[in-house]
Amino acid sequence: MAEERTLLAFDAAGGGCSAAVRVRGATVASRSEAMRRGQAERLVPMLQEVMAEAGISYAGLDAVAVTVGPGGFTGVRIGLATARGLALARNLPIIGVTGFEAFAAAVPPHGNDDRALLVAIDGKRSDIYAQAFAPDGAALSEPAALLPEALDGWLPPGPLLLAGDGAGQAQPALRAAGRDTVLADAPARIDAAVVARIAASRPLPQVQTPPRPLYLRPPDVTPPRGAEAAR
Amino acid sequence: MIVLGIETSCDETAAAVVDDTRRIRSNPVLSQLDEHRPFGGVVPEIAARSHLDHLDSLILRALDEADVGFGDLDGVAATGGPGLIGGVFVGVMMAKAIAAARDLPFVAVNHLEAHALTARLTDGIEFPYLLLLVSGGHCQLVAVNGVGDYTRYGGTVDDAVGEAFDKTAKLLDLGYPGGPAVERVARDGDPLRFALPRPMLGRPGCDFSFSGLKTAVRQARQGLDSFAAQDAADLAASFQQAVAEVLADRCRHALDRFQQEHGKAGPLVVAGGVAANRTLRATLSEVVGGHDAALLAPPLPLCTDNAAMIAWTGVERLRLGLSDPLDFAPRPRWPLEDLRVPSPVSPA
Repeated sequence: MAEERTLLAFDAAGGGCSAAVRVRGATVASRSEAMRRGQAERLVPMLQEVMAEAGISYAGLDAVAVTVGPGGFTGVRIGLATARGLALARNLPIIGVTGFEAFAAAVPPHGNDDRALLVAIDGKRSDIYAQAFAPDGAALSEPAALLPEALDGWLPPGPLLLAGDGAGQAQPALRAAGRDTVLADAPARIDAAVVARIAASRPLPQVQTPPRPLYLRPPDVTPPRGAEAAR
Repeated sequence: MIVLGIETSCDETAAAVVDDTRRIRSNPVLSQLDEHRPFGGVVPEIAARSHLDHLDSLILRALDEADVGFGDLDGVAATGGPGLIGGVFVGVMMAKAIAAARDLPFVAVNHLEAHALTARLTDGIEFPYLLLLVSGGHCQLVAVNGVGDYTRYGGTVDDAVGEAFDKTAKLLDLGYPGGPAVERVARDGDPLRFALPRPMLGRPGCDFSFSGLKTAVRQARQGLDSFAAQDAADLAASFQQAVAEVLADRCRHALDRFQQEHGKAGPLVVAGGVAANRTLRATLSEVVGGHDAALLAPPLPLCTDNAAMIAWTGVERLRLGLSDPLDFAPRPRWPLEDLRVPSPVSPA
């Protein structure tokens, strides 16, 4: 069946800010910029740019797609809060895509190689976020947060293809454990056009049930200092 | 003019609809108190997560209670700081997204300015007036000259007054939040039993200091052989009395300066959660009486954090032609004095 949807997709959960408009199966406008911080400033203007370039109004969208994490907690919320605002204002469903799915979908077909794919995402701490996928794209594990040294024991045996912005962090520990690993020829940042492509194949969720953030880590409970700025 | 306001800078998730006739059409507030109580204070990451979970349904509730739709709005205002930044991000991003999707002006509101302008929403008073802002995070005396135009007379050099209440409650095993707990037990206490210090009392200027008072409470408790309910009540009452006398002294100085600069004695507006304390209110009533000034204290739900004050600040700014670009960066620190006297620009 021909793809009929008009989608706005974006990501602010990792080391970048990216937005894309997909209309009837084609990416008609997209942006992707590397940034460690500043997504709160850049994201909405970037959405305005891709919408204008695509010649689409928000009323013309069928759904919004957004990455739900994992990543920096604040970045995850920047994307989801923006998605929820758009969805509220235009009564749209939100399709949530995990960072693992977005990185995995950006790995080019690698022939008849039977390696499993490990997507590793930078956890900004000592541990990293990880999920394994079979060569056919099916998930081999649940998403998890763990130390690089714990990866080998956690993964099913066999050679691995590595992707994601934490791949460089995961590889030394896996090699040290004697694991055969190869870095995938894939981008180290999430591309919203890929998020849109994944979302295009998903059923449209209910408008009232926005996707949940994927934090993979409980809140840090530090002694509170209160909103004491500007004394 | 109808404005949607959003507040997510501390531990209350709030949305409100207010119009330029000073009518609060809706003002639901969702407190996260129960989520933070086990930790004895606000945990920033728990707060931010909770804001994201609840803000969108609260906005729908605010619109529903106000009986308006997105198409009826003339602007969207959200707290842009100061505050716990993780929560501020959630409110700002949702507001920007609504503004973009509905082609509405966006206003990034300074949370302190919102407290400062609340008396204009509730009582319609004219500029200028004197503001005493006393809350868990803030303690300052400010001359409110106009929108975006503030003169800071003084502020705390260490703890905010609400912080002092919370820490005292902790020292007396009264639980969290401390303000209401201290006030409750102080009712049965003797405010003269413990001779606690009155920091800054009699000094020139309008600054506050509360950390020494907290230390004195700790020492007073340690000096007791046993600690019964009556001891807690007396210590709480003595603490509250000391705070009231310090605030009164600082407000007298501020009223004198305000009189000199503006040729009138107030009115004095008190805002922030600590303004709920009856002893403090009674003391401040005496102070303004001595200066022949009026005391204005907005109703309690509008003294503590709420979104009606954010929406109202949106109204005040939008009718001066002021709005903010969609690349606004949330500000964890944002002193009132950093605001500029507005020079109207056409909304982007």
